[in-house]
Amino acid sequence: MDQAKEGYSDLEKRDIFNNEFMVHIDALYNFAIKLTLDEDEAKDLLQDTCMKAFRFIDSFEKGTNAKAWLFRILKNSFINDYRKKSKAPGMVDYQEVETYYNSDEEKGAGQVTTDLRSETVKGMLGDEITNALNSMDVDFRTVIILCDLEGFKYEEMAKILDIPIGTVRSRLHRARNILKEKLAAYAASMGYK
Amino acid sequence: MRQAWDINSFEMGEFLRWIQKSLGMGKARCPEEERCLELLRIMLDEQATEEESKYVHKHIGNCYRCYQNYELENTIREAVKSKTHHLKVPQKLVNEITSKINL
Ligand SMILES: [Zn+2]
Repeated sequence: MDQAKEGYSDLEKRDIFNNEFMVHIDALYNFAIKLTLDEDEAKDLLQDTCMKAFRFIDSFEKGTNAKAWLFRILKNSFINDYRKKSKAPGMVDYQEVETYYNSDEEKGAGQVTTDLRSETVKGMLGDEITNALNSMDVDFRTVIILCDLEGFKYEEMAKILDIPIGTVRSRLHRARNILKEKLAAYAASMGYK
Repeated sequence: MRQAWDINSFEMGEFLRWIQKSLGMGKARCPEEERCLELLRIMLDEQATEEESKYVHKHIGNCYRCYQNYELENTIREAVKSKTHHLKVPQKLVNEITSKINL
């Protein structure tokens, strides 16, 4: 018979926290900054995430994917505690965004032909890339961060974001279209050819 | 380790693409473009099946338009990875967190 899960001892808890969680603290901090776009809020969000992770450490299985587990907590904290604060009137939420872009794509508008050359992108500065990314809706920005910057697989992203894997793929595809359009618009405004 | 396909090893494809480029065909849309774009993104994410990778590999080997898409996608990805800032958590904050945990 399986032994009922009793939870970790205090020593084990600290051991897991210090050895399995702390190695991801920089990645978590960068994720927090890219979500909130504010250094002070990012610091609070990181701290909240760490405290929650410690409080609920019994639900973490030692040796499993700590990074994905922590990213999920951070993302949930962001949605519950931070997003509401900064949610401007008229801003749409997850589902609405999804439907909006879905219907948009059905009309064929999702696939805008952009005349952006890869040489142009190669010549862009870090700030220009960052601005394009930051100007995206947070749901789309998030999937790009998780995939391109943090190297999560679709399956891990589905768990972090609590959405089906098919939605991860379609949201990522749309996010990449949007980013490309933003870069193209920027390039055009700068007169790049 | 990276399974980025060495597109240029397809010499015939390279020649075909050169012809297409010379004829200005990079501007003309390809009927398979949308499907190809979707799959090549999955391939660049290193999560495509063998079949999907084969399709992309073969198609962009012979289609200049989609080859351009491949190059652009790859470049944007690299730019996002290498040009955005990656910060370290301020040590003060690390200390605050660990001291709260290790009370
Ligand atoms: Zn094509």
